[in-house]
Amino acid sequence: MNNRVRELRENQRWSQAQLAELLDVSRQTVNAIETGKYDPSLPLAFRIARMFGKRIETIFLPEESA
Amino acid sequence: MARYTEKLYRRHMWILMTAYVALMLLVWPHARGMANLPLKVVLALAPTVPVIALICLIAKRVMASDELQQRLHMMALGFATGGVATASLAGGFLAAAGVIRLDGDVLIWMFPALSLIYGVTHIVLGRRYGGADCG
Repeated sequence: MNNRVRELRENQRWSQAQLAELLDVSRQTVNAIETGKYDPSLPLAFRIARMFGKRIETIFLPEESA
Repeated sequence: MARYTEKLYRRHMWILMTAYVALMLLVWPHARGMANLPLKVVLALAPTVPVIALICLIAKRVMASDELQQRLHMMALGFATGGVATASLAGGFLAAAGVIRLDGDVLIWMFPALSLIYGVTHIVLGRRYGGADCG
């Protein structure tokens, strides 16, 4: 799954640590989500969407099927 | 939710490990020579108290961590459990067949082996997911 978390975070001028604190997760988790190494659970994905004031499907995008 | 910080966890862990070493060096050696059975049992089991506290500490740490960290803990624990279970099963079969001789002392090494594999696997997985602050 692709996502726009890094782009949205940088638009807000937040560091990974700041976003992690706002979401109540570790910086490692934010980094893993941004780099696509980890897909968040649905509740966390909704929290991320709410944090950026966007709809979840505009942040998390399914990968193009081969 | 307030996180159980890595710093606090390490401080508590060192206190418990120090207590464990102290009990192993100062209390446990008296168990072998003790004639009184109930006291012998107490002395022999004394080092398990800080170990049980450590297990509770690890559980607290896992419960206080976020979803990715919990996944890493569970993967590491699964890997460690599988490794130790496989080794103990193989050792048991070899001992039962008379290939090697094992006595009860070997059981003492199961928890340290589990902890070692768990710790190493957790570090490796933490690096794989790109972070140093894997709580």
